[in-house]
Amino acid sequence: MTPKTIGRTLLFLVLMAIMIFMVFGISGQIIKYGIMVFAALSSGEGFAGSENAASIMSKADNLIASLSVIITALVSFFIVKKYICSIERVRWDFLRRMFLYEVLMAGVILVLFPFFWMLCTAFKPSGQELVLAEGNPFDIIPNSPTLDNFRRVLKIDSESKAMGVIDPVENKKNFGTYFLNSLLVSTTAAFLVTLFSSMAAYVFSKKPLPYKKNIFVFLLATMMIPGMMFMVPQFFMICKMGMFGTKWAMFLPHLASVFGVFMLKQFMDTIPDSLLEAAQIDGASEWQVFRVVIIPLSIPIILTLFLLTFLSNWSNFLWQLIVTDFENPLSITLPVGLALFRGQYVSELGLIMSASCFSIVPVAVLFLFAQRYFIEGMTQGAVKE
Amino acid sequence: MKEKHWLIIALIGYLALVYVSWDSSVNVSPDGRLFLTFWHTYNDQEEQVLRSIIKKWEALPENAKYTVRPVRIPFEGHKEKIRTALTVGQGPDMARVDWSFVCELARKNAAIDLGLLGFDKIADQYLKAPLKSCYVDGKYHGLPDQSNCVAFFYNRTLFKEAGLIDKNAAPDPQEYLKVLPKTWEDLKKIGPKLTNKEKGQYAFAMTNTLWWNLPFFNTFGARIISEDGKKCELGSEEAIKAVEMMAELHKEGIEAGAWRAGAITPEQGFVNNKYAMIFMGPWNLARFSGLGAQLDFGVGLIPAGPNGSSTNVGGTDVVIFKDRDEPEKLTERIKFSYSFLTFFTNAQNQVEWCQKLNQIPINMGAYDLVKFEDKNLGIFMEQMKLAGANPVVKDFGLMEDMVNPEIEAILSGQKQASEALKIAAEKIQTRLLD
Repeated sequence: MTPKTIGRTLLFLVLMAIMIFMVFGISGQIIKYGIMVFAALSSGEGFAGSENAASIMSKADNLIASLSVIITALVSFFIVKKYICSIERVRWDFLRRMFLYEVLMAGVILVLFPFFWMLCTAFKPSGQELVLAEGNPFDIIPNSPTLDNFRRVLKIDSESKAMGVIDPVENKKNFGTYFLNSLLVSTTAAFLVTLFSSMAAYVFSKKPLPYKKNIFVFLLATMMIPGMMFMVPQFFMICKMGMFGTKWAMFLPHLASVFGVFMLKQFMDTIPDSLLEAAQIDGASEWQVFRVVIIPLSIPIILTLFLLTFLSNWSNFLWQLIVTDFENPLSITLPVGLALFRGQYVSELGLIMSASCFSIVPVAVLFLFAQRYFIEGMTQGAVKE
Repeated sequence: MKEKHWLIIALIGYLALVYVSWDSSVNVSPDGRLFLTFWHTYNDQEEQVLRSIIKKWEALPENAKYTVRPVRIPFEGHKEKIRTALTVGQGPDMARVDWSFVCELARKNAAIDLGLLGFDKIADQYLKAPLKSCYVDGKYHGLPDQSNCVAFFYNRTLFKEAGLIDKNAAPDPQEYLKVLPKTWEDLKKIGPKLTNKEKGQYAFAMTNTLWWNLPFFNTFGARIISEDGKKCELGSEEAIKAVEMMAELHKEGIEAGAWRAGAITPEQGFVNNKYAMIFMGPWNLARFSGLGAQLDFGVGLIPAGPNGSSTNVGGTDVVIFKDRDEPEKLTERIKFSYSFLTFFTNAQNQVEWCQKLNQIPINMGAYDLVKFEDKNLGIFMEQMKLAGANPVVKDFGLMEDMVNPEIEAILSGQKQASEALKIAAEKIQTRLLD
């Protein structure tokens, strides 16, 4: 054995040890989480339910350990086999890849940990959110899980049901209502902002307009003024227009997005004018040029703007708070509804986290569907040809 | 073609969403009474009790014309919500606000002087310290509806581990109260026994914000603002001594440094058996008790300084706003709003409120009538009587922003207490009082 081979083998062993540690830890947590969800689902409401779930969890300790060992052994076997079977020459390459995957795995753990914490806290009984596991503060999966937080958020717990019989409106003041309201407001705002911004960007990019450059610079200058400065005047106008407490008030003042116009204009500048001229020669009207040439070519950036606007409206707390008419509790949106779980001194972390589990779904779905365009849109302009 | 199908599906989905979400009008039972709107920030349980008290008030023959409509708003952002609503005349008849907000509402001429409605005659029914937060420029602009303070929570498990209590001793609170520090000097003496840095255990942990630090100042008899509200007295001898004592606790390793950014907070350290003693309010009693065997804790009075034991005041007050149509008049709506608020906070209703919700009464008349299963609430009631009044300024948040960094500089040894407090006092004087 040459010193080089010994060094390589040692490195492989070190990387293998790290890999075993990671795989064992991750698989153990995933299996424990799955069992925790099962225990919570199969147990009832309240303290008795969480005690029942705790007994299921304690019985599953050996199962979790054995399954983790099996998975780790399988993964280890697969890696060792691959390493041994690989030819001498590519083994350094193999080690390099292995190291890269381990770094990536560590990165994924770091990025996903807050989400995992959210998913675990949502299952913790009230008061236990801050309690850490004895000996291992990173073991955040609750040992006595409960679905009570989800029940309370959706108002399907026994107390809310009893309250709902007395006051039906009370029963509708739930997360579902807030969620649908937010979905409507965010979707409408995102659609209209992209529509108006793309039309404005088209004019600024491709059409002759007196003082076009000056107007555009003036518009950009307005971005220097913090949004908070507009809040009271905008609120005043909304009230004067009789829109206080309506869904129009939630998004109407934010439909003119200078940022959106700027982003789309920069992209449209890269579309060759000859394409537009060719369309016009073929007899296309102004609207047809915009719809058939500009829009399809700008889809990545338009979807990016749609996603960004959707996100900002989905999480816009302050504006939605001040224009909400709380005398009509069914008009409350998600960020405002979530704030109702926070009191003067105590925040109901379990409720906030269980509601957050639902609230991230539309954003995640939207990103998954539009991911290709989004990344394309973000990297547009990175290369100058 | 496929894209068109997706577009049609998306359009149908969107229209369905509009149908479901758009018309969300609520028919609130119109039984012919006029509404008095009450914006509050109570939680679900509190709202239920509030509604039952409203029903009792409505049932009184003299109130046949009015009813109170409770409207829940989030506590977070309630100041912004009320400010903007008042700006455009969309404010409620009355609102429950953070104690520190009353001064701003009074100075902006939005909250009614309750003295005009005869509140001065019944003011002595209320606890003195919380009531002072409503006393602005010589007038009562609100009345307290819910009040609390912090007391000294101690972790029995750590006391046993330190050998301060026999491990086999009966869980008699009196035994623990005997070893609990009575003064700050006592805390310094027993502190080392409760501290084990290797295990990350400390005798005491504190939060560094002005409100949480008020118990220190009050036990040393230090005032933040003078009695007449015109001078900042943060640079006084007493205040300097109070902060120097805080710094000593940290320097001697008794205090955990929980006030540092990123450190384990007092609450988290306490529930995880890391901190033996912390300041905490009654809002966490039920949560801590719910932890069962995981946390064995008790509550005692805050150690005394030269001025005896004392604490801060938290909670909320209720204010009545001027009538949007006739701002200069004491209209019928205002009078009935006042009638409701005094009814809501009278001794009988306070007993109902406090017993159902395990809260400290704000009406002195309820103090002897209320009986709690949780004996720790009795300690809080005792501590509340010793509370010092909070500083009343137009922007307490700004005051915190000016004081907190200076105290942090003292605690971390970057500045001398006299120098840092003098700077903070000058800033407060210039920006909030002059």
